[in-house]
Amino acid sequence: MMLNGKTALVTGARGGIGRAIVARFIKEGATVYAADLTPGGSLESESDDGGLFIKLDVTQEQDAVDAMETVRASHGKLDILVNAAGIEIEKTIEDTTLEEWNRSFAVNVTGTFLTSKHALPLMREAARSGTSASLINFGSYDGFIADPGLAAYCATKGAVHALTRAMACDHGPEGIRVNAICPGYIDTPMLQSFFTGEGSGGGGGNIETLQQAVRDVHPMRTYGTPTDIANLVTWLASDEARYASGQLWVLDGGLSAQVQQMKL
Amino acid sequence: MRLSGKRAFVTGGRSGIGRGIVDAFLREGADVVACGRGEHPDEFKAGWISLDVSDPDAVTNTAESLGAFDVVVNNAGVQVEKTVVESSDEDWDLVMGTNARGVFNVCRAFIPRMRNGGSLINIGSISGNVADPSMALYNASKAFVHGLTRSIAVDQGPAIRCNAICPGWIETGMLEAGFQLAQDPDKAQSDAVKRHPAGRFGKPSDIAAMAVWLASDDASFATGQLFTVDGGMTAASPLNPGLF
Repeated sequence: MMLNGKTALVTGARGGIGRAIVARFIKEGATVYAADLTPGGSLESESDDGGLFIKLDVTQEQDAVDAMETVRASHGKLDILVNAAGIEIEKTIEDTTLEEWNRSFAVNVTGTFLTSKHALPLMREAARSGTSASLINFGSYDGFIADPGLAAYCATKGAVHALTRAMACDHGPEGIRVNAICPGYIDTPMLQSFFTGEGSGGGGGNIETLQQAVRDVHPMRTYGTPTDIANLVTWLASDEARYASGQLWVLDGGLSAQVQQMKL
Repeated sequence: MRLSGKRAFVTGGRSGIGRGIVDAFLREGADVVACGRGEHPDEFKAGWISLDVSDPDAVTNTAESLGAFDVVVNNAGVQVEKTVVESSDEDWDLVMGTNARGVFNVCRAFIPRMRNGGSLINIGSISGNVADPSMALYNASKAFVHGLTRSIAVDQGPAIRCNAICPGWIETGMLEAGFQLAQDPDKAQSDAVKRHPAGRFGKPSDIAAMAVWLASDDASFATGQLFTVDGGMTAASPLNPGLF
């Protein structure tokens, strides 16, 4: 088991990708705190992933303080933090309200900042007692190149990329590794929302046709699953990745390796 | 005129992007010598040398005969539309011989003869950063150009600046050849235009405009960089659902 004896906290833990990470971490022997707004998170179904639920609104500093106090009381350290909470506003900047813009940054950027800030003391404890602690942020391939009608989202992910490198520089000497995983198209409720959203051009169209077109433009001819993301997050969280820090790990089925693909 | 008093050498100056650069340099007052395979092109106002840049001895002899330059542009390039598996040894020699070794030949021979404050401009490509399908050797050769650009900037500064321009899809014979690969070239072309935030393909003059700036003293702090001029294409995801 890759994560035996480790303590982990995952934000956005009851969303599409979060659930896959929690389930895999538990399978690999970790004790996992599944932090989210509600036990069901962004999905309609309840979760039976076995994670210890913590109510956490990542935009609220007191929630972060309280969550870390819970971890401290039981374990005294945190080996792994995964900042997976995120939202996406499907609009151009002209259509985006200031409230939506602020909300995007509050969750995707400030949330990553607050949770990390209050996790660091516990992660230093883990680094002192173990090998290295691993902090994993969620960037996106949209932090490198833009999808249409996702302006605020693209901007927040670019910010997460820069924050990841900054944190890796600052906390590497303390034995804390910091990386970001940058997913491409992953089959989650967020992706399906993008397909059906007006900004994507999918509104009113044939969703199945659109989905197939999206698969076809990937060199791997498919989009990814939450399991694919969990596989890489697990490796980054494990001691096998002990020299990996400060990097942005793109996992996108080859999508961003290519020039715009002509329909030949 | 932004290049008056400067002497420039442009490889592959007969047509396409190279011709655009030659014309722009002349308009900006530079004294231009261009080279290419074959005889002096028609209606060509710059000096002309018949030269295959893949031939190191010929390049060295040319450099010795021409004297000092302020600006050198490595534009000469060829493409072969094949995957790795399809590519022959001859394809390798052609593409790498011109796009990689040719650039090396010209840099090695001309850098020692460039004046202080000179500007060396290589034509890289967006394809050196992200892959065009069935253009394996071309893509790799342009990545070589990008790496060499940084090396020259580091090694030859402060005497010489070295930058690369990475064109996107520019209306040239090479772009046309790419579209001829499509099952429906017209459809492929209209699809491709839509993927440009600028709403059009580039023209040789768009690349020449960047070359003029890099050649000019306005760019005196610019070195070691890759400047992409592609109408915004590579800023966008390869996947644009708005098109479907």
